[in-house]
Amino acid sequence: MKIWHFSEQAYHPAWKAEGGLRVTFPQYHCDPVEAGQLLNRYLDEYCLADELGLNIMVNEHHATATCMSTSVMTTLAILARETKQARLLALGIPLANRSNPLRVAEEIAMADCLSGGRLEVGFVKGVPLEVVVSNRQPTKFMERFWEAHDLILAAVSNLGETFAWEGEHFHYRTSALWPRPVQQPHPPMWGTASSASSARQYGKLGYTCATFLSGAVARSVFTGYRDAYIEAHNKLPSPDRLGYLAVVSCASDRAEAFRRAEAMKEYFIAAPRFDAQFRNIMGFNPVEANLRTLQAGASAMRPRLSNGGTLQTNGSVEDYMSAGLMFVGTPDEVYQQIAQFNVDVGGFGNLLMMGQAGLLSHEDTVDNLTMMAREVAPRLAELSDVPPLEVRYEGVG
Amino acid sequence: METAELDCLNFGKLDSVEVLGTGIELFRAGRGAPLLFLHGIDGLEGSAAVLSELAKSFEVYAPSHPGFGASELPAGMDRVDDMGYLYLDMLGVLGLEAPLVVGTSFGAWAACEMLTKEPARASGLVLASPLGLKTADRREHWVADIFMLSKQDLAQRLQVAEPEGPTLFEMSEGQMLRALRADEALSLFGWTPYMCNPKLADRLHRITCPAMVVWGEKDAMIDPEYRLRWRDALPQARVSMLPGAGHRSHADKPAELAEQIGQFATGAA
Repeated sequence: MKIWHFSEQAYHPAWKAEGGLRVTFPQYHCDPVEAGQLLNRYLDEYCLADELGLNIMVNEHHATATCMSTSVMTTLAILARETKQARLLALGIPLANRSNPLRVAEEIAMADCLSGGRLEVGFVKGVPLEVVVSNRQPTKFMERFWEAHDLILAAVSNLGETFAWEGEHFHYRTSALWPRPVQQPHPPMWGTASSASSARQYGKLGYTCATFLSGAVARSVFTGYRDAYIEAHNKLPSPDRLGYLAVVSCASDRAEAFRRAEAMKEYFIAAPRFDAQFRNIMGFNPVEANLRTLQAGASAMRPRLSNGGTLQTNGSVEDYMSAGLMFVGTPDEVYQQIAQFNVDVGGFGNLLMMGQAGLLSHEDTVDNLTMMAREVAPRLAELSDVPPLEVRYEGVG
Repeated sequence: METAELDCLNFGKLDSVEVLGTGIELFRAGRGAPLLFLHGIDGLEGSAAVLSELAKSFEVYAPSHPGFGASELPAGMDRVDDMGYLYLDMLGVLGLEAPLVVGTSFGAWAACEMLTKEPARASGLVLASPLGLKTADRREHWVADIFMLSKQDLAQRLQVAEPEGPTLFEMSEGQMLRALRADEALSLFGWTPYMCNPKLADRLHRITCPAMVVWGEKDAMIDPEYRLRWRDALPQARVSMLPGAGHRSHADKPAELAEQIGQFATGAA
């Protein structure tokens, strides 16, 4: 199992404000000097991850104090130059919120070039509220996503003459990427899923499929992926086709690990702080999916504790651990928890680790990354494959 | 899709009509001169009260817009401009030469899109709380953004009275499906530019039939400036204010609105 360090790069000083932190949170809450210091600090931590032999994952969000990386490719362009060996994962580019997919292809090519072929590319649908900020059309969202996907892959892998593209949603007279990416035909591709059915499309394509903070649902996501992969490719996917994202707090002392976990848990409190109307956006999800969600009820999508109860946003660190969203403890304990979770969900080869989250300080993050890289990563690298479980679809959606 | 049973529309017949391969849900009721009624953002069922009043003196034809209710959405349709053509084709299918055309809110926009293309296809035009003209200019906004309001806030703002009918969570599956289809269609047609066709103002001069614009005096969805925009864009229209009515004047004051429409029709005939 490989580890990828990830931070949402929050502007946490503004979390003290009342009310929502996303979409309509005014920027006067941001002190730009402090924001710059924080951004540099998070980049330093990414560079440390590189030095420690960990890989790197970056995301983006917009109009939110929970994430200051407003362009995954801008952040990765910096890291392409600042780091030496880490694989650099964009997870992801919110493709259907981007108005110009050929520009996305250029960014991919440039970052891959700069990094000497270390880029990995995930295209994501993104959470509904992002479409309010991008103001792209919510309807036919995934139709646009897949056309942009096809166009970008055609552009980055093109070794022939330039081509024109007249699609349903995108139109270009010519396409020439200068530079073109180092990795051919294209950098490794990723997708994200939170249900078996959404994982299937990535299984079919053979892309690496990650699921975020989904706890036990990861099992059905991975099963959906494997089934579709086997159907399309006639063999079992290797575990490195699958990834799981969780918050990790590791320290030489158990009490210290839990103290840090409390600071990191603030991420879970802050992330859902936004007005109810932005939980879903009219036209963003298909009518049938909205109907199923409504009928299933509000708590259906919440992760489950090991006793079957619903994980509450303000639950304890132990609750988050029970639900599989946090791994917390000494290196031995964290290794054991991850190894057990790996067995429980049927095996995955990529741990997308929030090594910094919430209010966790720079010093604590440095120690957390160092402990994980020195004490846990070598053992995870040796983790033996788990025989995949025979699990049928059980997730909602 | 199947046409649902809607108890609120038990005074007429709800079925569907095929318009060039697209199934359009159509409610018919009453006897008299033909009247085409185009519903607002609250769907066909949201107009039941005024349809009941209008059916006392008109032969009412009230479709669900494409993508709303049980109406299909043609694959290439994504603008109210497209909808204008569909309704002209529907008039042909129904054998309606020039009915009185009444549109409320979003439906008033659809009525304008239809009649700017073939102005002769209406004996008269009534626009109640119309949308469709530019709703904003840079930082100046004249129409509340339904996509930025919570469902509860929106339900409150649409009319003066307390919202009637079940909330989303209290609905039957059939009702839920209609509400969710309406959301999707509103997003398709009204997301951006918000609830308008920026070209409409330059086309409205083509409408030459007698016209009346009715505003709810207490419309909380619009800024008074928006009424002036409509007055300038359709200067020949009679303007009427309904006291005590909100944006859904057809729900707040159905009898009064129907009476105004009746009087207008008599004058227009």
